Amino acid sequence: MATQGKHPQKTSNRAPILIQIGIYATILFISWLISEWGNKTFPKFPLPTPVVGLVLMYLALTLHIIKVEWVEDLGAFLISIIGFLFVPSGIQLAGTLNILENEGWKLIVVIIISTVILLVSVAYCTRFFIWLRVHVLHKDAQVDADTKDEG
Amino acid sequence: MASTFILAAAAPVIKGPLAYFVTPFFGIVLSIAVYLLGQWLFKISKGFFLFQPLFVGMVMGILALAILAKWLGMDTAAFYTQAYKPGGDIIFWFLNPATIAFAIPLYKRNDIVKKFWLEILLSLIVGVFIALSLIFLVAKGFGLSKVGLASMLPQAATTAIALPISTAIGGNAAVTAMACILNAVIIYALGNWLVKIFRLKSDPIGTGLGLGTSGHTIGSAFALELGTIEGSMGAIAVVIIGIVVDLVVPIFATLVGLR
Repeated sequence: MATQGKHPQKTSNRAPILIQIGIYATILFISWLISEWGNKTFPKFPLPTPVVGLVLMYLALTLHIIKVEWVEDLGAFLISIIGFLFVPSGIQLAGTLNILENEGWKLIVVIIISTVILLVSVAYCTRFFIWLRVHVLHKDAQVDADTKDEG
Repeated sequence: MASTFILAAAAPVIKGPLAYFVTPFFGIVLSIAVYLLGQWLFKISKGFFLFQPLFVGMVMGILALAILAKWLGMDTAAFYTQAYKPGGDIIFWFLNPATIAFAIPLYKRNDIVKKFWLEILLSLIVGVFIALSLIFLVAKGFGLSKVGLASMLPQAATTAIALPISTAIGGNAAVTAMACILNAVIIYALGNWLVKIFRLKSDPIGTGLGLGTSGHTIGSAFALELGTIEGSMGAIAVVIIGIVVDLVVPIFATLVGLR
């Protein structure tokens, strides 16, 4: 605000952390309402709250309803500890160790192979479709490598 | 709901040492301790892949619970539900805001999203269909039961979406949950190596989409470490793959006669 003029500082427009928390909480609450409504209306296709929230957050940013500076710090922090946030999901196995007794090692081997299959098939499909775009449709596939840090 | 019920029902009966563990603080402290231990091991071993912090945290956490349960003379599963889950659930809750935070890297690379939306959509739909067929064949080759097979199919979606689909097509939700976590652990542990041996580096869009599909939100965070293009593609993969799996897996399961 006071930095208008000479040197626009990167930190100038950042919202206080409580405001950021408030924005996340509001989006999650609205998402929960939509998800509840969706799950009652279309019970066959689950509509989880975080997925609705992800779409809402993206739309709010893209349609300039909220500014990226209002949600960026908290978002970067949460993403930086995402590994830790999954620890309870991992430890959850302690509650269901008996499943592993029957076909345990087979499941684990299949999961490891599946992970590689998912990575490679999606990555190579993308390569194919981008090749198609360049060589058949003759459109460019140029991407800007550096982040655009518009203030 | 389940945990409050158990706490409410069990509270008056708990006597002896277990009473000291029946607080959310226990689960929170244990989770942080094992994760920090993992980070420390990862650091001093200069990034040995089996010492990936989440993996160490998971193994050490389960081990700690098993040892404590044995000491208290109770079942590991029961000790997990009564002592660890209340704290674990609090940490788990923060995955909600953390998941929606992935809209930010996605928004920052909106230029790519607008330019390549058709390629992204086609790659994810076709890629998942190919992956599903291969996973089905591999699972069949290993002779998994029908329940095991069905549990393997929804694993491309992030945990919250995969579980209800797994149940819907006759799988076991807990096995699918394990698959989703192992996916993320494997991607975090072996991601660099896989990117290298499959020569994915030259193609940041495909790498990002692949990492987001196979490693979910963690894969997407890993992709972000490779670059902003990879990171935003990882985020978009997590979002769109959830919807794709939601629609494709039930159809696929019907086609192969699982239901």
